[in-house]
Amino acid sequence: MKKIAIVYSFNSVKSAKVASKIAEHLSGYTIVKLNVENCNAKEFILYDGYILSVPTWFDGELPNYWDEILPALDDLEMTGKKVALFGLGDQKNYPENFCDAVGILGDFFEEKGAKLIGYTSCDGYTFESSKALRENVLIGLLLDQENQSKLSDDRITKWVQQLELEFS
Amino acid sequence: MNDFHNLPVQKKFSILQTDKLALQKWYHLMVLGRILDEKAPNYLKQAIGWSYHAPYAGHDGIQLAIGQIFNREKDHLFPYYRDLLTNLSAGLTADEIILNGISKSNDVNSGGRHMSNHFGKPAWNIHNVSSSTGNHTLHAAGVGRAIKYYKSDGVAICSQGESSVSEGYVYEAINGASTEELPVIFVFQDNGYGISVPKKDQTANRKVANNFLGFKNLRVIHCNGKDVFDSMNAMTEAKNWVIENQKPCIVQANCIRIHSHSNSDRHDLYRNEVELNYVREYDPLAKFKRLLLRYDRLSLEEINEIEAKAKDEVKLAHQFALHSPDPDPKSIYDFVYTDPFVSVKYPDGIQKTEGTGSKKKLIEAINETLKAEFTLNPDTFIWGQDIANKEKGGIFNVSKGLQKEFGKKRVFNGPIAEDFITGTANGMSRYSKKIRIVVEGAEFADYFWPAMEQFVEMTHEYWRTNGQFAPNVTIRLASGGYIGGGLYHSQTIEGSLVCFPGIRIVYPSFADDAAGLLRTSLRSEGPTLFLEPKALYNSPVAATTVPDDFEVPFGKARIRRSGQDLTIVTYGNTTHLSIQVADRISRDNGFEIEVVDLRSLIPLDKESILNSVRKTGKVLIVHEDKVFGGFGGELASIISDEAFEYLDAPIRRVGSEFTPVGFNRILEAAILPNENKIYEAAIALLKY
Repeated sequence: MKKIAIVYSFNSVKSAKVASKIAEHLSGYTIVKLNVENCNAKEFILYDGYILSVPTWFDGELPNYWDEILPALDDLEMTGKKVALFGLGDQKNYPENFCDAVGILGDFFEEKGAKLIGYTSCDGYTFESSKALRENVLIGLLLDQENQSKLSDDRITKWVQQLELEFS
Repeated sequence: MNDFHNLPVQKKFSILQTDKLALQKWYHLMVLGRILDEKAPNYLKQAIGWSYHAPYAGHDGIQLAIGQIFNREKDHLFPYYRDLLTNLSAGLTADEIILNGISKSNDVNSGGRHMSNHFGKPAWNIHNVSSSTGNHTLHAAGVGRAIKYYKSDGVAICSQGESSVSEGYVYEAINGASTEELPVIFVFQDNGYGISVPKKDQTANRKVANNFLGFKNLRVIHCNGKDVFDSMNAMTEAKNWVIENQKPCIVQANCIRIHSHSNSDRHDLYRNEVELNYVREYDPLAKFKRLLLRYDRLSLEEINEIEAKAKDEVKLAHQFALHSPDPDPKSIYDFVYTDPFVSVKYPDGIQKTEGTGSKKKLIEAINETLKAEFTLNPDTFIWGQDIANKEKGGIFNVSKGLQKEFGKKRVFNGPIAEDFITGTANGMSRYSKKIRIVVEGAEFADYFWPAMEQFVEMTHEYWRTNGQFAPNVTIRLASGGYIGGGLYHSQTIEGSLVCFPGIRIVYPSFADDAAGLLRTSLRSEGPTLFLEPKALYNSPVAATTVPDDFEVPFGKARIRRSGQDLTIVTYGNTTHLSIQVADRISRDNGFEIEVVDLRSLIPLDKESILNSVRKTGKVLIVHEDKVFGGFGGELASIISDEAFEYLDAPIRRVGSEFTPVGFNRILEAAILPNENKIYEAAIALLKY
């Protein structure tokens, strides 16, 4: 059974809840939760696939815990590994950089050779720009708990079903 | 939109790539800065000083980077009032920071004259800037013009908060830098607030730098101002690109404000605990320390050693600063004005051979003097609106032929932006003391008001820098009425400008005085406001002979007509009206009136005024400006204070009515002073 790591900050609240829901619903894989705050490259590289949780901080930045681990992951060879990303953002108050961190992290892992999976439609969102948007498709699951919390459960459920297929 | 914005930023620095010595140095500076930043409020609590403190915590990355890329041999740095770490990183010591904070006489920026938390070191081209937010952007653009003209490979670096970008003159500065392709880096340190005002209330874009994406020749770089490496990479990229391409760049650094705006602000009144926790979570110093340890770049022992060293440095600096002398109250008059050019040939500013040779009009005298001084000094420049295009040379053609003779790099048009015209003059003159700049501050004096902020700035520089810098700028303004110009082409604004110490103001009435005063202005250091009565440009009454080398010292009035029965003190257009009235009264009534033409309002030739009043016992003050609030009120007060016992009659004043100047000639005549008004006042006094 393939091993999938769900990587998120154990100190986070909203992101941690989403990560737990995904872990609960994703079947057919061995799920391991990794705390990005104290993870290292040796621990990180052990998995076949990854679900990365990356909320967007400030005006389109990575949270410091991701920012601080990236230099350690810079030399990783990720070819053949699949990476899915989800991120929390606020499209109403930060429409110019909605969930930018998802795009930033996606670019990073793609550069390391990973294949990004879990793309979603941008229908139903209203924002001006996002680094997570590529040719009218979102490269991960974007969740807006501030303004569209009622849509989140459905979005998570559908995304998990999609991942079950795409990780295979 | 140009493609510069999408160019990649070279990632030269990272926690793994940067050499250890640099990391040690940076950590030391960051810790030292934080200790000072956190200690600053204690000086106020102990009533020692530092009453204004704007903490920088949260801006650590970008401030370190600005200072690190600054080269004091070639660059010019314009920090703002939150730039403590920028200054430390650029080379200031802890001593120098505290000396400014507690306003000691050995403060290298201003000798205790400027507000605390306004750090700088003019000797190193770390400029002493105003508290008026963002106004130094114009100075940076101005010195950028000089860097380009003199082909230096330096840059001007201007730093400010994101909210101050709302100021109109910041747009003027960036527009000018874009138009002229100037080597300037504008850094916006974005902490999300202008005191309590969130940035969403400043402009529609959350990242204000994006407002400038459509400006040609300009690159915009965004970086994380909380992160040392991202900031170092962004500033290094910006500097290299600006030098290589000779074009401006904006670096917008996303920062956080961990504390209140300043010690007079309480951020808990408008920020909730969630937000405050959020920003504390991303303390840039804590992040840098974590990175150093996580990646084994410095050991805990090394970090502890650096922290201990920084604490010791601050202790010593504190003791040194506390025992440093306060400014001497007797020094308040030092450095208000620079020493002017001294005329050896014409110490009184009077022609020795007056009356011989052909007469020149006032406009010719100014034009020829400009050309003579531009020939004499290759480091002279002139710009303004409408000042140079083929045969055109200013709205009144005063500068006609200058561009043809001296080229487009020394004689050029400015945009319709008076603050830019004036502010960049201040900035450019910082490059070298040998530079002399003439600006037509506005098409007409009436349009000078947008430049007031830079005018005030110019008056402050010499005093505020404790004598280290004075802008060598002559501001020419076509002034006054009598041309049927109406409300916006008739104003004479000296009454509003004489109240600012630090600038000389001259107002000639005759061609020779215009030439002589202009020559003195262009040979002196410091700023001069040169008011030109435009109604006299081509008037025969103002035409005189003008020796080629004529000089008129500042502060020397000229007795244009001698008399013993009444003194008329006047200047500008009304000098001629007063002389005509004096001649008429002499003819018709037999009284002899002495007409004192002030020529300089600041410095004022009090002695000539008082000597005349002591002789005549009666005085009439005549000027074109409004009586109420006009300069004549000051003159009357001086005479009353210093020659009251000589007066045989009340001091009278004639000037404009307290209305704007109407366009219809009937209205204009009713409002401006004229011969009849002067005549009636003079006769009343003579008969008193």
